[in-house]
Amino acid sequence: MVAACSEERFSRVKQDAGLPIRATRWCLAHAGIAMEQVEAVVWYEKPLLKFERILVSQLLGFPWTLESFRRTAMTWLTDKLWVKNALCKELGIRPERLLFGDHHLSHAASAFYCSPFERAAVLTVDGVGEWASTSLWQGEVGQPLRRLAEVRFPHSLGLVYSAFTAWLGFRVNEGEYKVMGLAAFGQPRFADQVRKVLRPTGDGGFAVDTRYLRYHQSATESYSAAFVDLFGAPRFPGAPLDPTTPEGRRYADVAASVQAVLEEAILVLCGALHERTGLTDLCLAGGVALNVVANRRILADSPFRRLYVQPAAGDAGGALGAALWAWREVLGGAPTPAGLVPGMGRPWPDEDLERLLTELHLPFRDCGEELLDHAVEDLRAGRILGWFQGRCEWGPRALGHRSILADPTRPGVQETVNARIKFREAFRPFAPSVAAGAEDRYFDLLPGGQGPAEWMCVVADVKPDARALLPATTHVDGTARLHVVKPQANPRYHALLTRMGQQTGHPVLLNTSFNLKGDPIVATPLHALSTLQASGLDAVYLGRFRVDRRDLPGADS
Amino acid sequence: MRCADVPLDLALRPVRALAFRLPGRPAAEMAELSQAEAGGGLDMLEACERTARADLRRQFFLHALDQLRRSRLFRQRAAALAQARSRTTAVLEDSGYIASHGIRGADPLYSELGELRFLAYVWLAERRSARRFAAYQRLMAGDPAAAGMFAEIGRDGLLHVTYSRAELDLARQRGEPVTSALWAVRRRCAWQAWMRFSRRVGDLFAGLWLAVVYLVVLGPFSLLARLLERDEPGLLAPEADDRSAAQRAWEQA
Ligand SMILES: [Fe+2]
Repeated sequence: MVAACSEERFSRVKQDAGLPIRATRWCLAHAGIAMEQVEAVVWYEKPLLKFERILVSQLLGFPWTLESFRRTAMTWLTDKLWVKNALCKELGIRPERLLFGDHHLSHAASAFYCSPFERAAVLTVDGVGEWASTSLWQGEVGQPLRRLAEVRFPHSLGLVYSAFTAWLGFRVNEGEYKVMGLAAFGQPRFADQVRKVLRPTGDGGFAVDTRYLRYHQSATESYSAAFVDLFGAPRFPGAPLDPTTPEGRRYADVAASVQAVLEEAILVLCGALHERTGLTDLCLAGGVALNVVANRRILADSPFRRLYVQPAAGDAGGALGAALWAWREVLGGAPTPAGLVPGMGRPWPDEDLERLLTELHLPFRDCGEELLDHAVEDLRAGRILGWFQGRCEWGPRALGHRSILADPTRPGVQETVNARIKFREAFRPFAPSVAAGAEDRYFDLLPGGQGPAEWMCVVADVKPDARALLPATTHVDGTARLHVVKPQANPRYHALLTRMGQQTGHPVLLNTSFNLKGDPIVATPLHALSTLQASGLDAVYLGRFRVDRRDLPGADS
Repeated sequence: MRCADVPLDLALRPVRALAFRLPGRPAAEMAELSQAEAGGGLDMLEACERTARADLRRQFFLHALDQLRRSRLFRQRAAALAQARSRTTAVLEDSGYIASHGIRGADPLYSELGELRFLAYVWLAERRSARRFAAYQRLMAGDPAAAGMFAEIGRDGLLHVTYSRAELDLARQRGEPVTSALWAVRRRCAWQAWMRFSRRVGDLFAGLWLAVVYLVVLGPFSLLARLLERDEPGLLAPEADDRSAAQRAWEQA
């Protein structure tokens, strides 16, 4: 694999749902190839089947789906149905070279073909693709991926979780992380009510009771009045949320309940998948695979012993899976390892950075060989740094290429980062990065979780004696969304962690994505500098150059 | 960032002043300004990355920082003015905030317009913003924090008008077609205003037409759909598909 990047990093529209024109152009330019040389372009799903599903849902909801029909007809008839024409026109693709994967097949391929396994069970769980919302697969190198079973719309774990996300006042398709974080503050005392909405069917699958939901008939609402009768008034977006108040407690308890029921359903699916395959290695993809707490539960309580999670488990990863599927199964390409590393996006060589900073007339320091010493000195002094190194990350997590870093052992650092930079909910902890080999000193990572931990895709228990040492990165339930850094995955970041360890005794850093609340992760040095100006970061390291916030014009105080 | 003053805009001024007194309006308008400035700041960062001229790169960078700062100030003001549980608080909370504005289309504004027209655009847009901000300063005279904010922003804005104007003057001296660039930008703005308007009208009619289609065409089919409905919860066997992988890959269904 040569290059991969989400459109949002170019367009600056978070989770941009438009065609990935700029990302595609950049990938081609980076690889130094023209579109005429491209043998196949693969779209990650079947647009006509998806349209069929939407239309059928609206027919079934007649006459209550008028508004939803108008909305979807406007977007589909003007836009989404013609994705083939639009792609061919915008990118100059020859129509005969444009192929279409299947949504869940793309997810499954993105997990299995990036995994280190020769044979594995594959589970894909998301909101919905064409018709499927969950699929069970078996993968074997040299064989096509085999679909064993599926759950179809409107029965969907992802959409039910999103309904609760909306009810809790968070943005659907994005606030799901917040529900997961909030869940740790609550008790699952509403689990029986949640089971009315989502129940197991006894065959390894599940069913939803659509009386409580609206997502199958509405473009804007995901839960019904019956849902509100069951769980009470929804939280207004932006209203304060404090899990220590009775109202906040109720929201936390509902979050805990839906998280618990989701985990149960996933474990049942895992049981069925294990039974059908007899395998002990599992690959996961689909938006629900971003639920790192559920992933830990799979390691703890399912029959699977080793886990691989596609880091871009959401639909962004569908592009990668679709391409890998076509390479292996349509074009008959060699089964070479995909070679996915955290940095697959645009690189910024030091020469370019130096020229840019010089042309902007910004005071900067060329740290040269002493880059790590300077950064560690900053961190030890309690400064919060932007770390912009190498290529932009693949997937939704910052993994030491576009990260905000701080010393997690300093008291109050979580509050400082929240108040000065991220402005996010106080109930969400930050993630710790740790140099590979040292994780066992601080964390009890379940066996089989090493792979996902390199991509921040699973939580681990923080050892009791390390909790006081790392308060900013330990969640209220004693877990952490661990990021284990190997030298081959990100040499400079690994070196920084190692140097931190030499000087402080702890090769650990607080690592959060380099962006302001609501923005996509920074992609270019200009985004990094504008974020430096807008936030309470103390300095940013662009390659080997350090820019201090006080040297930027008009920095907010 | 929108540019030229269209006559309609001027005619609507008294109406807007009245509308501004409606509850929730100031907060909503501050939120809109914030979005517009954020989108403009992103356009400006793109220009900064792409221009071949080192001196303009710095100018565009400073301009972008100013716009992004304005965006934050407007946002803070909107948050302070918005009533709890209003639509504005929900919009401000939404991290897709910029998605409804931001940059659209494959090409950034700078690449689409080219340098001269981009500068013409900056000048026209900043001049218009200066007038709008002055109008807001008057409308919000009763809110000292807002008045102070607009006064400060006005000073920054003046710098932007001045530099873009100076660049256009220099271009004119070099013999570049500045006048036609200004007209091209004005035409583009008018065209876009027309497109926005006709899109709204089009959406309205399309909505009515689709409602008719829904009731007349979908109605009967909905009965059929219900007869054929298979609600199948739980794990299902995949549907048989005897197409080869290559055949399947060709088709959109
Ligand atoms: Fe998906």
